[in-house]
Amino acid sequence: MNASDHNRWSEDLAAYMLGALEGDEATAYERHLEGCERCQEEMRWLEPAVQTLPESVERAEPTKQLRESLMAEVRADVREAESRSAPARPRRKWFLRPAIGFAVVALLVAGVVGYEVGKDGSDEGGGGSTIVRQVDGLTVKMVQEGESGTLQLEGVGQLPSQKVLEAWVERDGQVEAVPALFVPDRHGHAETTIADMTGVDTVMVTEEPPGGSEAPTGKPIMTMSLN
Amino acid sequence: MAVRREKAERLADEELMPLVGRKDPEAFEVLYDRHGGAAYSLAYRVVGDRAAAEEVTQEAFISVWRSGARFDAARGSVRSWLLSVVRNRAIDFLRSRAGKAPKLTFDDDSVLEQRPAEERTEEEALRHETAAELRGAIGKLPGEQSKVIELAYFGGFSHSEISRILGLPMGTVKGRMRLGLEKIRGELAEGLA
Repeated sequence: MNASDHNRWSEDLAAYMLGALEGDEATAYERHLEGCERCQEEMRWLEPAVQTLPESVERAEPTKQLRESLMAEVRADVREAESRSAPARPRRKWFLRPAIGFAVVALLVAGVVGYEVGKDGSDEGGGGSTIVRQVDGLTVKMVQEGESGTLQLEGVGQLPSQKVLEAWVERDGQVEAVPALFVPDRHGHAETTIADMTGVDTVMVTEEPPGGSEAPTGKPIMTMSLN
Repeated sequence: MAVRREKAERLADEELMPLVGRKDPEAFEVLYDRHGGAAYSLAYRVVGDRAAAEEVTQEAFISVWRSGARFDAARGSVRSWLLSVVRNRAIDFLRSRAGKAPKLTFDDDSVLEQRPAEERTEEEALRHETAAELRGAIGKLPGEQSKVIELAYFGGFSHSEISRILGLPMGTVKGRMRLGLEKIRGELAEGLA
């Protein structure tokens, strides 16, 4: 592409970034942009200017009703999803596959034997219990209140790029994923909630790709027996 | 199961997004609390009506919630991405309300006043007048440049529509957009220096 061709496209850059190109023009520009490093560079330079525009508007406060209405819709979605998945939740399909199931149980057993290095203390009473242990260099605190529990990890290092933490529980010899993924904060604290602790024998945490996995894909960073 | 609220509050936006993708309402709530005000302000700036701005804001956040984590960290911050979702929703709202070419009947001076007259209370008129003066680096732009940028970004007009509204060649409109953005960028760079 010669300089004249580039200038023709470059003239459209600001209009494209402001959303002012018509549909076909925008599509054509995006095709050009994919292969033009010079335009990509110009766009990266101008991007902060476009990002300033929404920040520059006079501040207006939404009503509390907006937040309430929004969260009501969100929680209704969650309830609906939970009710849809409830019959299938107790036993994940992946566990029915013998090879994967065996591997997971093996990981758990190996984890309990290999990673748990000592029990620091536990406390029971008031309808709840707390277990604190040093496991594989991490301080692990398992707080149970009623049927639910909170798994807290201290000393977790920075995760590799594009990784999150996913917890797994074993009960009755079967392994289930804990739905909420989590990540450590800057102080190395990571925490997730386990909704149903009934019959849970072992808790394990692995690093997984964003969005989580249906079955553990890597070596656990922590495996703790609750017995 | 959701992470606890206090835990979610300690996470950066980029850390919240995977949780939102996994349908964690606590993470989503924190995201809204951080950016809902800016999102609503932007929606209000575009549509010029409080009820419509709330509708747009709610639709935008629900689309983020239901679409999962489509956010791409390589393309900017979560906040910028969220605001771009809100802006697009608001422009769609304007277009659906007014038809395909909604505001071409307005003249140059009134084109930024998009709301029905009965909605312009004194307070709103004051707010709108102030909002017309874009703050900071944007406020320093020559009027001819800020006008085309406002018409495009906040009004949702294409460059050809702006050309017709202002009676200018399309090349001039695009040139002013470019000069305006470059000037804002220069001001930002100077501010960082």
